[in-house]
Amino acid sequence: MFEWLLNPMFQQMILEGVLLTIEITLFGVLLGLGVGTLLAIGDIYGNKPVKAAIAVYVEFFRGGPLFVQIFLAVYTLPTLLNLQIDHAILAFLVFGLNSAGYQKGYIKSSMEAILGDQMQAGLSVGLSKAQTVRSVILPQAYRIVIPSWTNEFCSLTKSTAVLSYVGLMDLVGAGRSILFRNMEILPVWIVVAIIYLAWITGFSKMMDIIYEKKKIPGIELSA
Amino acid sequence: MGKQKKEEDRVVRKMAEYVMEAKHVYKSYGKPKVKKGEISLDTKLVVEAVRDVSLQIRKGDIKLVFGPSGSGKSTLLRCLAMLDIPDKGQIYLGDEELTKSGVDLNKARARIGFVFQHIYLFRHLTALGNVELALRKVLKLPKEEARKRALDALTEVKVSDCVSKYPSQMSGGQAQRVGIARALARNPDIILLDEPTSALDPELTGEVIDTLRDLAKEGTTMLIVSHEMPFAREVAEEMIFYDEGRILETGPPSQFFNAPNTDRAKKFMDRIIKRTTRE
Amino acid sequence: MDVWEQFIILLEGVPVTLSISIISFLIGIVIGLPLAFIRVYEKDASFIVDAYEKIFRGIPEIVLLLLFFFGLGPIFPFPFGIPFFVACFVLGLRSGANQSQIYRGAIRGVGDEQMIAGMSVGFSKWRAIWHIMIPQVFNFSTAGLGSEYALLIKDSAYVYVIAVADLMYSAVHLASAPPYDRVTPYVLTAALYIALTFPIAFYLDKWGSRRKKKIGL
Repeated sequence: MFEWLLNPMFQQMILEGVLLTIEITLFGVLLGLGVGTLLAIGDIYGNKPVKAAIAVYVEFFRGGPLFVQIFLAVYTLPTLLNLQIDHAILAFLVFGLNSAGYQKGYIKSSMEAILGDQMQAGLSVGLSKAQTVRSVILPQAYRIVIPSWTNEFCSLTKSTAVLSYVGLMDLVGAGRSILFRNMEILPVWIVVAIIYLAWITGFSKMMDIIYEKKKIPGIELSA
Repeated sequence: MGKQKKEEDRVVRKMAEYVMEAKHVYKSYGKPKVKKGEISLDTKLVVEAVRDVSLQIRKGDIKLVFGPSGSGKSTLLRCLAMLDIPDKGQIYLGDEELTKSGVDLNKARARIGFVFQHIYLFRHLTALGNVELALRKVLKLPKEEARKRALDALTEVKVSDCVSKYPSQMSGGQAQRVGIARALARNPDIILLDEPTSALDPELTGEVIDTLRDLAKEGTTMLIVSHEMPFAREVAEEMIFYDEGRILETGPPSQFFNAPNTDRAKKFMDRIIKRTTRE
Repeated sequence: MDVWEQFIILLEGVPVTLSISIISFLIGIVIGLPLAFIRVYEKDASFIVDAYEKIFRGIPEIVLLLLFFFGLGPIFPFPFGIPFFVACFVLGLRSGANQSQIYRGAIRGVGDEQMIAGMSVGFSKWRAIWHIMIPQVFNFSTAGLGSEYALLIKDSAYVYVIAVADLMYSAVHLASAPPYDRVTPYVLTAALYIALTFPIAFYLDKWGSRRKKKIGL
C-alpha cells in the first residue's frame, strides 16, 4: 500500500510541498502579527474614522472564506490591475492580511486586560503613552496571547490546503500530483493527513512548552 | 498700577519657592455640559471629587491628606501628578505651569514620584527591571549607571533580596516598597503617595511605614494620602482634612489629635481614635 | 451575462451552502456535547476526547474531504461516494471537535455546584447532566456557538474540492466559462459570504450584552 513512498521522486514532491506550506504559513502568520498589532493599537487609540476603517477591514477578512479571498487575490486582482504577480506572493499577502483580522482581536483583548493600571504606572514614571505601550503593555500582551496565537498558526496551516487550487505546489498539491502517477488514492491521502497531523501537533506542543517558560508568573488570560 | 506689579512680583517669587502648587483646582467625574466657556455640571450624575482646592508644598514638607473615603483625595493627588487632568484651575511644579497647553507632561511627570494604592508594578519585569525602566527610557541613562541607581534605590527601601523577583513572587509589603523605590530612583522633586498601605495586609503595613519614616528623616518632600493615624502623628508636619472635595481644615498633627477646629474633623477624629483604641 | 444574471446563478449555490452548514452544526452538537461532558466528568475516558480533538485540529478539512471522497469513495460508494454526504460528514466531525471545546468552557462557567445540587436532590450523574447542566451550558455557549456557525459557513467553501454545487462552486464555474469574467463572480461571492456571516456577528454582540445584563453581570 505504501511502497510508492520509497520512490525518490515522490519523496521530493512531498518535501517541496511541505516546505512551501511551512513558508507561506510562517510568513503569513508573522505578517498577520505585525498588521494585527497595528490594527489593535489603532482600535484602542484611534479616532472615529480610524476605528471605522478597522471595523470594515476586520469584517471583510473575517466575514468570508479564505478560499474566496485567495481567488480574489490571484485571479481578480491581476485582472483589475492588468498586472502579473507571482501567485506565491499574493497568497502570502492574503494569508497575512486575513490572519491580521483575527489576530487583531486576540491582541486587542490581551492589551485591554493589561491596559488600565499598567498604563497608569507607566505614565507615573514619566514614560509617554507610546513608550508605555511599547515597553510595558506589548511585552505583556504578547506573552498572554501565545495560546491564541498558536491556535491561529494551526488554523493557517490548515488553510494553506487551498493553495494547490490556485496553482501552487503545497503539500496537498504534492498529493494531487502524486495521484497522477500512482493508482492507489487512499494511502496517499492518509500519508498527507499524517504529515499535517504530526507537524501541527508537534508545533502546538512546542509552543505549549515555550509558553510555560516565557509566561509571566502570575498573569494568564483565562481560557 | 505699580503697586499691582510689585504684588505680582512678590507672588511670582513666592511661587518659585513652592515645589508644587495647586490653585483653585476643580475635577469631577460625570457628564459635563459646556456652557459658554464655563463648565457647568449635571448634578445628578456627577461626582465632584475636587472643588476649588488650593494648596502649596515647600521643599522638605511632609503633608498628610486624610478624610472620609470617597471624598476625592486620590483624585486630588492624581491631578497634582497630571495623571488626571483638572477641569479648572492650575497645577504648578516649581515655576512651570503643568495645566498650560503644550506642556510636555511626560517630562514633568518624570520629576514627580507617584506611589499607587494598588502598587501597579510592571508585572513582566523584575523588581530591578521595574526601577530601571524609567531610568533607561526617560532619563536616558546608560545601562551601567541605571543599574547602579536602581540597586541603590532598592537597597534604600530594604528590598535588595527581591531584586530578581517578579511582582507575583513578592509579598504586598515588598511590592509596595519596590513601588516606592521606583518612584524614588529618578530623584524626583516630590513624592506623592496614594494610600500606600491601604491595600496591604495589616502585618505588612509596618515595613512600608518604616520606609516612609526613613524617607521623612532624610528630608524627602512628600504628600501622602493615608489614614494611618499613628504614622501621621509621628511623621507628618501638616495634616490636611479633606471631605467632599474640599480642604476643610489644616494644621499640625497636635491640632487634630487634641482639638480640631471644625466639627466634621472632630467627628472624624473621634471615630478614628475610637477605632484604633478598641484594637 | 450581466451582473444581475450572475448574481442569480450564484444565489442558486446558497441553499446548498446553508444546508451543509446547518447539518454540520447539528452533527457537531450531537458529537460535541457528549464529548465535553465525558472530558469533564469521566477522567478515564478523557484521552479519547483529546485524541479526537487533536485529529481535527491537526488535519486540514480539505485533506479530509479528499481522503474520504476520493480515497474511501471508490471502496464504499455508499455513502462516501456522495459529495454532499462527505461534506456534511467531515464538517460535522470537525465542528464536533470545536464545539466540544466550547461546551467544556461553558461547563466550567456554569460551575460544579450545579452538578452537586442536582445530585443532592437525587439525580444520578447523567440525569443531572441532562436536566440541569445542559440547559445552562447552552446559555453560556452562545458566543462560541455563534462564531462556530459562522466558521462553518465559511469553511463550507472547502467542499468545492469535491464538486459540491455550493456558492463557491457556482462562482468558480461562472468565472471559468465564457466570457471568463474573473472579477464579478468572485467579488459578488465574497459579498454574499459576508452577508451570510454578518447577521450572526451582529446579533451575537447584541444578544451577548443583553443577556449579561439580565444575569446581572
